[in-house]
Amino acid sequence: MNVTTPIEQRDFKIVGKSVRRDDVLEKVTGEAEYTGDVKLPGMLHGKIKRAAIAHARIKSIDVSKALAYPGVKAVLTHENVPRVLHYGSPHPRSASCTKDQYILDDRVRFWGEGVAAVAAISEEIADEALDLIEVEYEPLPAVFEPEDAAQPGAPLIHEVGPGGNLVLDPVRVNRGDVDAAFAQADFVLEGTFSGGRPHPAYMEPNVCIADWDGSNKLTFWTSTQTSFMVRGILAEVLGLPLTKVRVLVDHMGGGFGAKQDLFQHEFLCALLAKETRRPVKMEFTRHETFVAGRSRHPCKIWLKQGFKNDGTLVARDMKLVYDSGAYGSHGPGVTIVGTTAATSLYRCENVRLEGRCVYTNTPINGAFRGYGVVQSYYALDIQMDEAAERIGMDPAELKLKNVVRAGDIAPSGHPILGHGLEICLQHGMDVLDWKSLRNRDRTPDPKRPHIRTGWGIGCEMHGSSAYPGIKEQGNATVKVNEDGTVTLLTGAAGLGTGAHTALAQIVAEELGVRFEDVGTIHGDTDVVPWDIGAFASHTTYLVGTAAKMAATKVRASVLERAAMKLQVKPGEIDLSEGNIFVKAEPGRFMTVAEAMGPSRGIPAANIVANGTYEPTKSYSFAAHFAEVHVDTETGIVEVKRVIPVHDVGRVIHPIAAQGQIEGGIQQGIGHTLTEDYIIDKKTGRSLNAGLVDYKMPLSMDMPDIETIILEAAPDPGGPWGAKGVGEDPIIAIGPAIANAIHDAIGVRFHHYPITPEDILKALREKGA
Amino acid sequence: MKRIVELTINGEPRDMTVDSCRSLLDALRDDVGLTGTKKGCDVGDCGACTVIVDGEPVNACLMLAVEAEGRTVETIEGLQPGVDTLHPLQDAFMRHGASQCGFCTPGILMMAKKLLDDNPRPSDEDIRFGLSGNICRCTGYTKIFDAIKAAAIEMEAARS
Repeated sequence: MNVTTPIEQRDFKIVGKSVRRDDVLEKVTGEAEYTGDVKLPGMLHGKIKRAAIAHARIKSIDVSKALAYPGVKAVLTHENVPRVLHYGSPHPRSASCTKDQYILDDRVRFWGEGVAAVAAISEEIADEALDLIEVEYEPLPAVFEPEDAAQPGAPLIHEVGPGGNLVLDPVRVNRGDVDAAFAQADFVLEGTFSGGRPHPAYMEPNVCIADWDGSNKLTFWTSTQTSFMVRGILAEVLGLPLTKVRVLVDHMGGGFGAKQDLFQHEFLCALLAKETRRPVKMEFTRHETFVAGRSRHPCKIWLKQGFKNDGTLVARDMKLVYDSGAYGSHGPGVTIVGTTAATSLYRCENVRLEGRCVYTNTPINGAFRGYGVVQSYYALDIQMDEAAERIGMDPAELKLKNVVRAGDIAPSGHPILGHGLEICLQHGMDVLDWKSLRNRDRTPDPKRPHIRTGWGIGCEMHGSSAYPGIKEQGNATVKVNEDGTVTLLTGAAGLGTGAHTALAQIVAEELGVRFEDVGTIHGDTDVVPWDIGAFASHTTYLVGTAAKMAATKVRASVLERAAMKLQVKPGEIDLSEGNIFVKAEPGRFMTVAEAMGPSRGIPAANIVANGTYEPTKSYSFAAHFAEVHVDTETGIVEVKRVIPVHDVGRVIHPIAAQGQIEGGIQQGIGHTLTEDYIIDKKTGRSLNAGLVDYKMPLSMDMPDIETIILEAAPDPGGPWGAKGVGEDPIIAIGPAIANAIHDAIGVRFHHYPITPEDILKALREKGA
Repeated sequence: MKRIVELTINGEPRDMTVDSCRSLLDALRDDVGLTGTKKGCDVGDCGACTVIVDGEPVNACLMLAVEAEGRTVETIEGLQPGVDTLHPLQDAFMRHGASQCGFCTPGILMMAKKLLDDNPRPSDEDIRFGLSGNICRCTGYTKIFDAIKAAAIEMEAARS
């Protein structure tokens, strides 16, 4: 349950300071070891043969030439791997998953799906052997759009699931009396919206290494956000107890949500290593990170909302269709989270929502920062702007009037405790002098008359933790060593967010020792406490609270031990900055090291405690203000300035929190203007699976970002009120840009990415 | 066909025995064991493998190892001036939070070093242009720009 005691106020020594991140020291020197840097003696290289057809049955597969090729050690096909139906997204404790995958099947469901795997003494030989594998396909009719896949009589992609190519039964939410509310509305807005297929494009391509020992134990290095889920599902599918699977991950080169599946190549790597009795490494090419990785679900949305003439929102009716691609992966979770999110953000008592998720013969879509909500809030926020325009009201005022308030029921079904959206919106308006901006002289600069400027606002809220979809558990173990130093053991992954530093700060603060005295152990499932994985903006909130709980316990034990040594009662002493002193006689003290170390008749001690936390959820909030320049001759939109105003509760490490926001804005600008992983609608083939053709904002494209973090509404569920921050920024920036484009050129766009072609076409139509 | 390549890496004379088709990146990572240089795409798109060859920044994935014969290669492992000291850029990257996942960091640091070696007082635009071949997906670049500017000021102060 959530911690519900009031948030403790204290004079923070370590929390709230941008202390030095030890992981960054290793990164700037090149010493940080990523999975791809690991090299084992005798290691083989694995490669995957990928289908060049979108939907087919495999009639035959001949691997004899590949097996005979010098240097090839093993070849796997659907005929010689275990046939176990399993989840792609292995969230434990979750009903929001679909078992629809085999390691290898006699069926291909998307262009690029693996049909065979090779292990060889070098990557080159493995690659060459792939060409020697002969596959004969019986083509099946394929569908590439959810509309087509949902038609009666459409080719079925899976035999499992509710049928009709649905990944799960439609998600429905009904609240209030929507029809009556529409009847009483002064005006109604209705529109369709759509989102493309942005790809996370983490810098480190997926990579894993498998090694079996003589006791039939698998050691598995992999770049994952969810090492315990990898352990669990590998064990389940390979028929092993958990003691026989050890998953290791030290540094990882980003994930942004998409490295929380169990991937086909991970099973194949383990099986190739088992078959050859040698370590096998499997590393994606950049092309494979697109084709066999995970992207954001394309989405089509129909949204109808009713308003009063004073701008009050009274009714919402919304239908969402997410494209899952060829497998379920996170489709169920994304559909549930994205749909239920639309109960909130702008308060509305009468809500009717329906979310669907549909299989298509396209690469798999999965988890990606902003999990289903990027899509639904893009539509919601743009339509709020349209409502303001309709009644001649400032969109900021209309949003302020309608934003969710403290005590409103959140998408999780719980009243919102820490609520900061009003404050974020108002603060941004004050900082920018929003009213003057709205009323500014809009005459174009005579030197550049083709450049039009615009300002827009986007709002968002996002939960820390995946509750209620998943009942989460955070764990931490804290040990105080004989010399007074402290060891924190955590299963939380280090994606690069600085989570381990934040956890160490929390432990040091709570325990009363220096930050430098806390060492963190992570990344080995045989050693650290179980962890659900790094996702849902929850590590600081969830594991941070567990770490604080463990630190509270060891602190009490340290004080007890010191009291014995000082011959006072534990209540008479206190601990601060590594010193334990008698409260009544501050001159009488000992260090934590002295308390823990040996003294006459008392041997040295090691104090250990665990913290386990099972929270519900908190919400973070943001309002983004964006300035764009639209070139009416080229259609190019430049984002010039962004003022993101965030409420994340208590800030643990300011620079790391800012970094999350700024990086999220970068990805969100890409989503909104340039990024779209394109699948050919005739063949299902990937058209831009590479970093040149998939256009991301780089150094020349980034606006000035003036990040503002308000500790406006701490949530009692997190350590000293801390909430999540990772996912929020990518959600708010999209509608802020779309609304700014409208402010600049008077054209509404209901989709992303908004390309230069779209701008020019719209301007032509507007002029005509 | 294997070839022996003699070159200087981070100030040390080295030789490596490589296939003639092997990239400098694979040779550095797998044959020499310098894994600080990262492989983000292997086709010259991302800049994660940026190293400095005879004073010029190079995508190590696009250069054959045999082309490095007789040349001087600098990698991230050679950026620290001493065991216990950091290059001002490394120190600034730490202080400003310019590295998150860190996978692009070695390449960006080498590119930034080259930038400041050539242009000790770069403008904001110079820095943006200088990094235009290096993809960072985590930071939004904001803190990378801040770190490079801070390092430039410190290096300038140290020289005067």
